Amino acid sequence: MMHTQDQSLEDKADVSATLEMSVISDGTSATRPLAIYAVPAASLAVAACGGGGTGDSPTAIAPPPPPAVTVVAKPTTDGDAARYILKTSLSATEAEISDIRSVGYAAWLDKQFNMPVAETGAAWMTARNFDQVTNDQYYFASALGDHMVWNQMMTSSDAVRKRIAFALSEFFVVSATTLEIVWRSSAITYFWDQLNANAFGNFRKLLEDVTLNPAMGVFLSSLGNKKEDPKTGRVPDENYAREVMQLFTIGLYELNNDGTRKTSANGQPIETYTNTDVSNLARVFTGYNYDFTGNVKTPSVRVPSSMVNSVNFVQKPMTSDHTKWEKPAKASEHSLLEKSFLGTVIPANTDAPTSLKLALDALFNHPNVGPFFATQMIQRFVTSNPSPAFVNRVAKVFNNNGSGVRGDLRAVFRAILLDEETINPANAGTPTAGKLREPALRLIHWARTFGATSKSGNWTIPVLMNPPDSLGQSPLRAPSVFNFFRPGYVPANTAIANNNMVAPEFQLVNEVTVAGYVNFLISAIRGEMTNTNWDVKATYTSELAIAHDSTALLNRLNLLLTANQLSDGTKSTIKNALDASIVLETSATAAKQNRVSLAIALVMASPDYLVQK
Amino acid sequence: MAYISKMEELSRRAFLRRSKQVAVAGTAGSFAMGLAGIGEAAAFSAGNDYKALVCVFLNGGNDHNSTFMPYDSANYDLFSAIRGGGPGQQAGGLTLERAVLTATALKPSGGQILTNNLQYALAPQMPRLKALFDAGKMAPVLNVGPLVIPLTLEQYKNNANPRPAKLFSHNDQQSTWQSSRPEGSTDGWGGRMGDLAMSSNSNALFTCVSAAGNAVFLSGKDAIVYQVSTSGAPAVTGIKKPLFGSAAGSTALRTLMTQSSNNVFEAEYNRVARRSIDAESVVNAALEPVSLATSFKPLVGPNTLAEQLQIVARLIAARQALGVKRQVFMVSMGGFDTHDNSVDVHGSLMAKVDFALDAFYRSTVELGIADKVTTFTASDFGRTLQSNGDGTDHGWGAHHIVMGGAVNGGRYHGVAPQISVTSPDQVGAGRLIPTISVDQYAATLATWFGVAPSELPSIAPNIGRFASANLGFMR
Repeated sequence: MMHTQDQSLEDKADVSATLEMSVISDGTSATRPLAIYAVPAASLAVAACGGGGTGDSPTAIAPPPPPAVTVVAKPTTDGDAARYILKTSLSATEAEISDIRSVGYAAWLDKQFNMPVAETGAAWMTARNFDQVTNDQYYFASALGDHMVWNQMMTSSDAVRKRIAFALSEFFVVSATTLEIVWRSSAITYFWDQLNANAFGNFRKLLEDVTLNPAMGVFLSSLGNKKEDPKTGRVPDENYAREVMQLFTIGLYELNNDGTRKTSANGQPIETYTNTDVSNLARVFTGYNYDFTGNVKTPSVRVPSSMVNSVNFVQKPMTSDHTKWEKPAKASEHSLLEKSFLGTVIPANTDAPTSLKLALDALFNHPNVGPFFATQMIQRFVTSNPSPAFVNRVAKVFNNNGSGVRGDLRAVFRAILLDEETINPANAGTPTAGKLREPALRLIHWARTFGATSKSGNWTIPVLMNPPDSLGQSPLRAPSVFNFFRPGYVPANTAIANNNMVAPEFQLVNEVTVAGYVNFLISAIRGEMTNTNWDVKATYTSELAIAHDSTALLNRLNLLLTANQLSDGTKSTIKNALDASIVLETSATAAKQNRVSLAIALVMASPDYLVQK
Repeated sequence: MAYISKMEELSRRAFLRRSKQVAVAGTAGSFAMGLAGIGEAAAFSAGNDYKALVCVFLNGGNDHNSTFMPYDSANYDLFSAIRGGGPGQQAGGLTLERAVLTATALKPSGGQILTNNLQYALAPQMPRLKALFDAGKMAPVLNVGPLVIPLTLEQYKNNANPRPAKLFSHNDQQSTWQSSRPEGSTDGWGGRMGDLAMSSNSNALFTCVSAAGNAVFLSGKDAIVYQVSTSGAPAVTGIKKPLFGSAAGSTALRTLMTQSSNNVFEAEYNRVARRSIDAESVVNAALEPVSLATSFKPLVGPNTLAEQLQIVARLIAARQALGVKRQVFMVSMGGFDTHDNSVDVHGSLMAKVDFALDAFYRSTVELGIADKVTTFTASDFGRTLQSNGDGTDHGWGAHHIVMGGAVNGGRYHGVAPQISVTSPDQVGAGRLIPTISVDQYAATLATWFGVAPSELPSIAPNIGRFASANLGFMR
């Protein structure tokens, strides 16, 4: 049964009834708000799909099959449509706004999810010979990876996947900055491609791909990590073992499914692991190195006596098969000691692949993973301070997608992006709503909205980490595995702190960065970014066409950049500034360009824009 | 000017908070305490001297064993055996040949004897710090780390005493070093000193200044961290000059960046922007006439630590124009998480630290205030003594460096650990149980800075549990 948009409103009552049924079957009616709009029914139906009984309440009686809920929830205004698109994607177009108003949230989102990877980073590199041994010595270049990822974020048609991949890159962090290896740009590209490939796959597979990724191996020094040597006292490197627990799976404290901390009898949080767990788990990540299968050595063009390895070894998972290494070892370098951690015991003499499987299974199945991952992903898309109920709903889907599958990322992101707190947050318009937009996402938003193109075709946007003259943020360039900012960051001496809230992105906000951002924004709009070589410029075609009509121009920017969330005061400030210079339909392009540029700069510098609500 | 009044407001607020606390303390019972408190509320307004503390944070956990290497033959051999050294005191594993340490071997004044007659050499890339040690301007402080209460191995194993949460975790130990609490903490001991000191500065905003990005160390209960770039305070060019040819555009930009909002995120973002815009002209005007002869430019390569210390030196030079008598600064440098390839990586980091600290010290000499500026290192944690093949893992206690004209230098402070991975002064793999707590380290620096003894618990909350609040490394 399909509903038209108008019908969907009338059907609200029906939906509530349906909703109530599924809620009860879900066993969480006590904590679920029932008075919600038609919108979340779709997401809830998904959660209850396939027999419900989410697997985390063993005593629950198997619920009846879910009723067929086919209500189509749709945004009723352009502003609501844009607001949703900007939360889930990288920019909004008029076509998308019209589309989502016509097909509804879920159908629009599924369409985005179903888009294949538009072009892999590796394919983009290949098309430019960046993976070939040439006189340009691309194997030494570090900036090509930046150009690749900026291009992907600014132009790819699978924008929602890209937004997810970017969020994943802030959870599973590798920074190109410290990848001081040959073919480093291709190495970071392979990592990025794996995030994209797994964006709608399973967390377990993603975890394994990340673990064996050679860029990660270099970044967290598991590549070349050797088993213990009783003779010298050498012990395995603990780096990856520690961070895979602290940052990529379970975190530091035992969590309830809603992301709140469990407490001990004396009210203290319970730490998830000890140093003994770390040093035992470290044994699992020993004995891996680059897979040199199929490597071809080519003389360097500049120094023919020197041989250059082909790019393949950074584009394959690391291997524990010591015969495949660049310098094959006589025997495995994997620790054969017993590995005992978090209550899991991998017996002595277990080989590398088996140990890895057991260890990653154990981490993946830890009850913390769902709420730990859910909290941070919600923070990246929707709000800095998700309610425990929101985390709980998403973590439940992580635990069981409705068909008994744990870690189904497609279901997890669908649950996040179709939740009522995403679509229709109860606190919208209240003082605590929203999150600061990340600086890199602002630039990407600009590029996609105004049709940025690259003159060279190579998108030579540099690393934009330097705060005083750029963004203080650049994809795949975090200062450490702790990302650009921490999920629990609290800006001191602020109303945010006084409200017991966190604001992760504010770790990047200070007197230098607020000035640096606006300065950089202005030069970006102008097409004269800092550094030389800047070849990315926006076209502003649609904006120039209406430049003479300041109201129309401002309305357009208000919709596409802020989802119509500029305050009246901000609108009038901008409008007055625009009208201070007269621009007519017959005016020269330069005058129109100035007005368009000014309008964009003012909107994107306004707090109304900077905070996504 | 609106800007100055805001500064005054900040100072006044801090003073009132202190006075209120004093009043409460006074009525709470102790007459003596009340009197002491009243004295302290004004402690920083007295006198005309200037003092600054500079925290040099080494992000990632500095390998103190490669900063201070055992040099005497017996301990060198123990060290070499643990870290994979070559035969005949040759290089190997994570060790250097013993002979290359000769030039930087430290000979403490007064014939000081350390544990097991240990003699340290600084990393060979640190000849300048060796010279500062010899000149009595630098002191190593041995085995410092976060503690709640003094702790023995036995107590550690039995969980008999409380210990800092989340030991060995980078972000949490950075936060614990800076603030006594894991991540999420909102005030650090630099900022808490700022709370006490800010009322003596006519521009309170410049009490706690970071060139290192946001970190909890410099945040106080009232004190706000003011961030500078290595070249000063970046101006918003669109406000300074017509924006896309429009003066009205510039005005509008300023309005939008400084307007208030009901949304807490918007309001806070603009509060920072307002500070940035208001302070920029003051800072840059104060810096404009400053000219430092001391070079912070190394012969090769960039040195971000030196660049940060250069702006700190320039701000100190501009202290009168900035209206400050007490300042706490923070600079930082990354790359110290040397799990891998540590001989090369750590060695080059040491060279940068050596150059940067020395340049900074010389700049304070040039400014004639070397004895008014004290620089100290801090880091996530020390590292294991044990090797993982080509690097080391996360530890706990570590050796640190204090530098300046007021430092009781040329000798060690604290107890040297044994060169062992089985001795009772560590919890395994050479992860040292600190013998000096960060609270003691902080309290000693705070006392020199001017904090009264009864105020020390507000800076270093655990200080009452340790035998001494003054380690004697400051004159």
